[in-house]
Amino acid sequence: MSEVAIQGSEGGNRRSRWRFIVPLIWLAALLMLAVGMTTLEPLFRLLEPDLRQVIYVRESFLVLLGQHVLMVAVAALLATCVGVGAAVAVTRAAGRDFMPMVAQLASIGQTFPPVAVLALAVPVLGFGTVPVIVALVLYGLLPIVRNTLAGLQGVSAEVLEAARGMGMTPRQVLLQVELPLAAPVILAGIRTSVTINVATAALGATVGASNLGDPIISGIVNGNTPYIIQGAVMIGLLALAVDSLFERLQPRVPGQASDGQAANG
Amino acid sequence: MSRDARPNRVLVSLMSLGLLTWLGLDALSVAPNRLVQGTPLSPVEALGWMVTLLGAMFMACVVWLAWRPSSARLWTALGLVTGLLVAMPLWLSGAVVAVLDPDMPQARVGIGPGLWVLLFLWLLVLVELRIRLRLRRVWVWSLLLFVIAIWGMALSQWLTPLALVQEYQARSEQFLEAVLYHLALVGAAVGASLLIGLGMALAMRRFDGLRRLGFGVLNSLQTIPSLALFGLLLAPLAWLGNQVQWLGALGVSGIGWAPAWLALVAYSLLPMVRNTYVALEGVDPGVIESARGMGMSPVQVFFQVRLPLALPVMLEGIRITTVQAIGLTAVAALIGAGGLGTFIFQGLGQAAMDLVLLGALPIIAMALVADALLGALAERMRRREAA
Repeated sequence: MSEVAIQGSEGGNRRSRWRFIVPLIWLAALLMLAVGMTTLEPLFRLLEPDLRQVIYVRESFLVLLGQHVLMVAVAALLATCVGVGAAVAVTRAAGRDFMPMVAQLASIGQTFPPVAVLALAVPVLGFGTVPVIVALVLYGLLPIVRNTLAGLQGVSAEVLEAARGMGMTPRQVLLQVELPLAAPVILAGIRTSVTINVATAALGATVGASNLGDPIISGIVNGNTPYIIQGAVMIGLLALAVDSLFERLQPRVPGQASDGQAANG
Repeated sequence: MSRDARPNRVLVSLMSLGLLTWLGLDALSVAPNRLVQGTPLSPVEALGWMVTLLGAMFMACVVWLAWRPSSARLWTALGLVTGLLVAMPLWLSGAVVAVLDPDMPQARVGIGPGLWVLLFLWLLVLVELRIRLRLRRVWVWSLLLFVIAIWGMALSQWLTPLALVQEYQARSEQFLEAVLYHLALVGAAVGASLLIGLGMALAMRRFDGLRRLGFGVLNSLQTIPSLALFGLLLAPLAWLGNQVQWLGALGVSGIGWAPAWLALVAYSLLPMVRNTYVALEGVDPGVIESARGMGMSPVQVFFQVRLPLALPVMLEGIRITTVQAIGLTAVAALIGAGGLGTFIFQGLGQAAMDLVLLGALPIIAMALVADALLGALAERMRRREAA
């Protein structure tokens, strides 16, 4: 069964060498815009002829983009490690007692709006980048835990039986059978988590983290529409690039549980 | 549940953690006024050893009960945890009187990390007990309502020096207005997206090309971060408000309710259309066939058979949309849309954390209540349908 799955995904790789073209186009547009925002000055000048400054210059867009991506990537990495780890732990015999509670917690927690989680992190941890990352990790955990649980539980008992019958150790069963079979569903969870976090990280600009949300917040505060548009277009492009990348990475799963929860912050 | 010799490790570890929190973390902070950072106080410093030990004994008792769980013991543990949840506001009321200097009317008490963690852990214990005792959801909600009522009484009667309460009292009218406004904006967005979503789902069932295009557009809309979408709507709407007289008179401009409402509708459409589409498609064709056979007109078939049968799944869409919109409306406060998010961002701007809480806690409560109510409604409908 795992053989089939692996071969299937290899077939998918061979199927189209062009499949990463869309995310690459988004990424190229994003980088070009980050580097060449100043060349668009006449365009923004057209929009707001009276403003003294129409290009956000407090920090270069490349740096802001880098900080945004770094923040989301660190949070995604931590959330994936902890989330997959927790879900694996509660599906083993030793941790099974904790399973119902963790499952409930993951589903109740997703009802919490990401903004609220971000806002609650500040009183506890203060302003700056670290509290934002903590909030991103905490919130990003939930879809990963939920999907990993769903993925691991979706592995049929017969497959596990067969794997054990072949003399695989529990560790081998986990690494060579369960996780590969659950991978598409887990990846879908990571995708939801990252999508939410790209959005929530932008809100982090209100609590003192410096990223692509900065131009927007600064534009709102100073009534500078071009700043807002610059930040908004960059974040939008980043979100589309990341999402289309995940879409290409993810094999189609028939009957996969749709991520019904709020995918935005 | 029969007698089970194995310890319930979840309860044991949660309550042991609670015990450590109670004895190790600061429960309160006292500040002479709003701007100064408070000095932290442990439970012992607040109300003395006796009361602290009493609380610890209660928690130790739950650990002991969970060590050899039986049905009766778990029920007792449920009683104890409820007691603890009720006792916390009362303890807080006593502590506030004890630690405050009557000569300093400006002084305020903040709830420290210890109490927040305890509250979180006890609620987790409640969740675990609900699962183990297979409690009906109605029971848990009545239990929580009772606890909330006690909290409400304590907050309004005895806990006025609490910083959170003071922030509320300083703007009680604004608060009510913000809650209503928040709900109105959510309601207007969900209502509009329900109508548009139904229309789109119907059109998509007819035209296959539209379905692919529609889902594609909505999918990419959903990935655009809310802050960016609000920002992108700002310029065109400001222009529209300036150019078109009657739109401007209605209040359409780059900031305020218009971009917020538009963005909320845009985000709401994907879950709404998806669920409505799936719901309408999922109705058993045999039922439709027999309705037609009974001589019903297509309009009758739709309104009297297909729509009612699709309702539970559509409700799921409404639930997801509502919960999502409650959170997104908070972000909309950044572009001047009002609502509870205003308190969050004001509080962040002034570094007044209790003001942040005043905005964030009701938003979370609203989301949880909306989720629970709509979820229960859908479940009920489904059960009636199955019967």
